[in-house]
Amino acid sequence: MKLVAATLYALGIPFVETFTHSASERHACDSVVVRVRDEAGTEGFGEGAPRPYVTGETVTTMVDHLARELWPGVAERELPPAGHLAGLDAFVPEPSVAGAVAPNASRAALELAILDCILRRAGRSAATVLPPRRSRVTYSGVVTAGSLDRAARHARHLRAIGIRHVKVKVGFDDDVARVTAVRQALGADTSIRLDANGAWSLGRAVEVLSAVAPLGIAAVEQPLPRGGDYAGLRAAVPVPLMADESLVTAADAEALIAARAVDFFNVRVSKCGGLARSLAIAARAAEAGLGVQVGSQVGETAILAAAGRHLAAALPEVAFVEGSFGTLLLTEDVSVESVQFGHRGQAPILTGPGLGIRVIEARLRRHAVAVRELGTGG
Amino acid sequence: MNSGTGDLRAKIETAFERQVEGLTASAQFRALEEGRATAREYDAFVENVARAHLRSPQLVAFLYALAPPAAAADLRHNLLEELGLEDPAGRAHPDLLSDLLAGAGLAHRLPQVGAQADEDLRRVVVDPLLYGTLREVGLAALAEIVAFEFMLARLAGRFAKALAAHRGLPASALTWFTHHSEVDVRHAEQGLADLEAYARYYDLDDDEALAIVEAALREDVFTRRYWR
Repeated sequence: MKLVAATLYALGIPFVETFTHSASERHACDSVVVRVRDEAGTEGFGEGAPRPYVTGETVTTMVDHLARELWPGVAERELPPAGHLAGLDAFVPEPSVAGAVAPNASRAALELAILDCILRRAGRSAATVLPPRRSRVTYSGVVTAGSLDRAARHARHLRAIGIRHVKVKVGFDDDVARVTAVRQALGADTSIRLDANGAWSLGRAVEVLSAVAPLGIAAVEQPLPRGGDYAGLRAAVPVPLMADESLVTAADAEALIAARAVDFFNVRVSKCGGLARSLAIAARAAEAGLGVQVGSQVGETAILAAAGRHLAAALPEVAFVEGSFGTLLLTEDVSVESVQFGHRGQAPILTGPGLGIRVIEARLRRHAVAVRELGTGG
Repeated sequence: MNSGTGDLRAKIETAFERQVEGLTASAQFRALEEGRATAREYDAFVENVARAHLRSPQLVAFLYALAPPAAAADLRHNLLEELGLEDPAGRAHPDLLSDLLAGAGLAHRLPQVGAQADEDLRRVVVDPLLYGTLREVGLAALAEIVAFEFMLARLAGRFAKALAAHRGLPASALTWFTHHSEVDVRHAEQGLADLEAYARYYDLDDDEALAIVEAALREDVFTRRYWR
């Protein structure tokens, strides 16, 4: 069976409210969704979220990369068998993109679309490829940037819906006051992580982390920019460190492990280039004795959320899981099924065919700022 | 039952006032009121108002089912009013919204708007519940209803005036707005008392209740509904 057509949707789904952190302010989902169709007419959907400050991709470069390099590399080629994730990983080509760390969002979108298509044709769920080790996944909440009052209000909302793990966006002048306010709003029984999105210098990281450590901080994500002195920081503060923007490729993972730079890896399906590679990086972290967080992209739709759910359910150990905000953040999601987490951040595993959701193509079109149809034969 | 500290009502009112201030300061509201919106934007606003409120009777019926004794009479009254049964001359509010669409030349859009409203309701039902029990779900739903009454008591007249002046809608099409500008002053006052009664009856402490109310409103509940 071969792929014969694809459609790229550059989305612009507005957010319910602005999401702000030190590296970006977002008002809408800007994911690129890929729909592939095989000879029998079976469709599959995948999604990637381009982030210039993470993988070096933009919506424009992602669409161009998919259309000009990745799609021609998979169209009209015999597809790998269902259930063979490593075979699928090898099937998707890997050209480089000038200026990008790695074109992983593009790759993830195509890998997920093909996986969804192959599994749907076989009537199988992704849960048969990534057998779940738990019946439900527990998600964290996020307190975004903004005023201290807004941060405390966000924290109270999360407490009201029973969230027990909360990540606080930091990287501002008032970080210590912010974390203190959030701790006060959440109470003592909720775990708090910080995420600086690489905004701190080494000195500032030491200063803030030393001040907030007594509040009980489970981990701090990407305190320094990519390439920063993580090993030095790790030796200087009592807060566990987590790599995010510094962890894009398998080579990044090896370098971080060799340098004993961090305590956790934040593995995100889009950032890491798809499910196969995310799984491999998570496995490598476990071998090295590191904890794993399954992260998400701000504003991702149900497609990436579903992929993240499968990954989080399948890993032997997972410390924290993020994402599945659904219409808590998007004004409209793209699937029939809601993937949004519920009370206490819990959500069931997905067992339907493919990634386990049914994408409503009309919604993709309605929210697309650009649509590109790709066929075969040039 | 929780007796509370007595200032829950004031805090909720402050949260509502903040939302109303946010709405009147929004670019969308100002454009609508100052006649700078396009014809298409006025039409979209009219459709979104209809979509937001077409299924209100069902929502009020749900709230009536959960009503504590101290709020039951108010919610029954609101439900009958929504259904046009409160007095012999009454008209069901969904019919008034149909009049609004028709007056704007959008009668042909009613099936689509109705379908959107149904889908909104369906989503509320199928989405996972964020709260552990119906008491929190009910408070969140009541907070949103009362917040709209609070806002409409203050702004429905301005909406009507703007639609008449800049979109040329006749008075007969604007009954839904004029009705709400008149009765929601009373509803909003009752609603604030009902919210407090609800929290007391179902043993929600003030901080917990306020967090649920604020979560229901989020950043800008009104613009989210009226400008989608």
